[in-house]
Amino acid sequence: MLTIRECLLDPTRSESCDLHCEPGTVTVVLGPNQSGKTPLCRLIAGLSSSASGHVEVAGVRVKTSRGGSWAAGNEQVAMVFQAFVNYPHWTVAQNIASPYRAQGQADQSRVRELATLVKIDHLLERYPHELSGGQQQRLAIARALAKDPKVLLMDEPFVNLDFKLREALNEELRALVEDTGVALLFTTSDPSDALALADRLVIISQHEVLQQGKPLDLYQMPANIKAANLLSDPGLNTLSATRFVRPEHLRITSERSGYAAKVKAVESNGAHSYLHALVELPDGDKSWVAKLPGVVSIAMGNSTRLGFDERDVLELDR
Amino acid sequence: MAAITLDQVSFNYPGTTEPVLKNLCLHIEDGTTHALLGASGAGKTTLLNMLSGLLSPSSGALRFGDKNVSTIGARERNVALVFQFPVLYETKSVLDNLMFPLLNRGWVMKEARGRAIEVAEELELADVLHLRPAGLSLYQKQLAAIAKSLVRTDVDLVLLDEPLTAVEPAMKWRLRQRLASFQVEHGLTMIYVTHDQTEALTFASQVSLLSEGRILQTGTPEDIYNHPIDRFVGDFIGSPGMRFIPSARLHSDQPPLGLLFAEPPERDAGTLMGIRAEWLTPQRSADGIWELVSKRLVGTDGGQEKSLLGFRNGDFELLAEGLGNWCKGDRANLRVQRYALLPAEPQTAITS
Repeated sequence: MLTIRECLLDPTRSESCDLHCEPGTVTVVLGPNQSGKTPLCRLIAGLSSSASGHVEVAGVRVKTSRGGSWAAGNEQVAMVFQAFVNYPHWTVAQNIASPYRAQGQADQSRVRELATLVKIDHLLERYPHELSGGQQQRLAIARALAKDPKVLLMDEPFVNLDFKLREALNEELRALVEDTGVALLFTTSDPSDALALADRLVIISQHEVLQQGKPLDLYQMPANIKAANLLSDPGLNTLSATRFVRPEHLRITSERSGYAAKVKAVESNGAHSYLHALVELPDGDKSWVAKLPGVVSIAMGNSTRLGFDERDVLELDR
Repeated sequence: MAAITLDQVSFNYPGTTEPVLKNLCLHIEDGTTHALLGASGAGKTTLLNMLSGLLSPSSGALRFGDKNVSTIGARERNVALVFQFPVLYETKSVLDNLMFPLLNRGWVMKEARGRAIEVAEELELADVLHLRPAGLSLYQKQLAAIAKSLVRTDVDLVLLDEPLTAVEPAMKWRLRQRLASFQVEHGLTMIYVTHDQTEALTFASQVSLLSEGRILQTGTPEDIYNHPIDRFVGDFIGSPGMRFIPSARLHSDQPPLGLLFAEPPERDAGTLMGIRAEWLTPQRSADGIWELVSKRLVGTDGGQEKSLLGFRNGDFELLAEGLGNWCKGDRANLRVQRYALLPAEPQTAITS
């Protein structure tokens, strides 16, 4: 169990918040670039950081907000960085065993077990430069787990990976967390990763926590427009000053319902089409994007109608 | 602008025997967008360098229109490049940055200025023309870098090297739209090199999938997504990728498979059935053949929870999109609305 009390991602702010990560669960911190994700991870890991707060691991206070050194317990926190960090002159096996070196012992069966967990057990004698990007990141994860940490921090760990590798690692992460019982804190700027992975979701922006809770609750009841937009790709469509609809909730509708829309562009990735349109609303024209299933072919300049289910409308204050 | 043709193009780095590009054949129509999609190591960068003129084919020919440009160097080729990160002169204003490529090619000041302003206005950069790059957002910087590449009027090809990778998700949409409407307006020939399938499939009218130095398949995004040429393409395209079941299994005497078809595939032992998540609808049933083993939240639909569900039946795993509250261990049968039939063996040499 990880707790951060009186957490301030930007020490000049006055409103702090508390964060909790339960063992065997995934907490996703979702925020755009430069929103304070890395300072938060660095604070928890005990590295120098612009964020402040009291960090507790399994009920033991390991760091206080006023700088200060780490009490016992920092070995219970491990971190995986965006860039793959491995020892280049050591083999995969030696890299995984590296956290044990200080104690002068490396249990080879434990090394093999960890390598198996992240599916690189056939590569134990290779060096990092002989591995693909995905394998290097798996190695970094295995090394982080070697300490048997209670808390694993992953700061945008898949940014430098091909999307197919991200897909595979995303699927494996959940199983890994359940198998090891580690409390995983994972940061990302991708809303779909956040929804798919999180048991608990924290949305941050400009060094401020906007909202935290269960992902479905945050999706259905965002605290404000900013939080809703961060959990939407592309962003929300505006109905009025306080009413919004997500792109995936728009549908092409018949003559009578919905709003008239003039098509500006359609982009399709096979699974979905993104229809960009100028929509005639009672208080003026608005630019909308609809995320529609399948391939939609409507030429630029043509007209259609866009509608939605009232249950999917978001009522939000600014 | 020009049509681009690769005619049996191969490339070896000097001193190596294994070619990095293997007998590539491709024709890109004048005034269209084409995406080259591949994972790292597929040969994208080598091909990009060849198109820009930094490398020459070891064999075969590269043509811009009717002209064989295989041995023409980068300086003499009329190719505009847009890089992953904005490349701008930090000490110059946006306007001076845009004018630079023109003045360099002997344009007179007044005309260069006019052209720079025209492009800036079209890309909605007019308000920041007087600013230096340091005063711009990342989105504006990349837009300015794109404008700088598009300002020349004498190019045959615009080559884009993942220009949206560094831009924030919310801004990608705007940037891509700007780029797309500029392309349509001016009839540019654009090649977009990327490892990001969403970028590739949304931006280009034709996509070529590159793997280990070969072009596996070329087609419209719809084609490649719905009719992959083999298992590799079906798995690679789409996130998540296709899942597969041998068609023969449907007709064998083994226990029932729990798949419900409007029209099942015909008996053919040499064929794989490829199924995408959105082509399947799970039907909850206490004695269903499939067991739910994983669940990932996607969002909601009509107020109901919508998830990507992983189902297992023996050795087979399928993904399905499901509405409502599903839990691990739930049992279901799966209704198949659509499927693709693929050869059981991987395909190697494919032409467009």
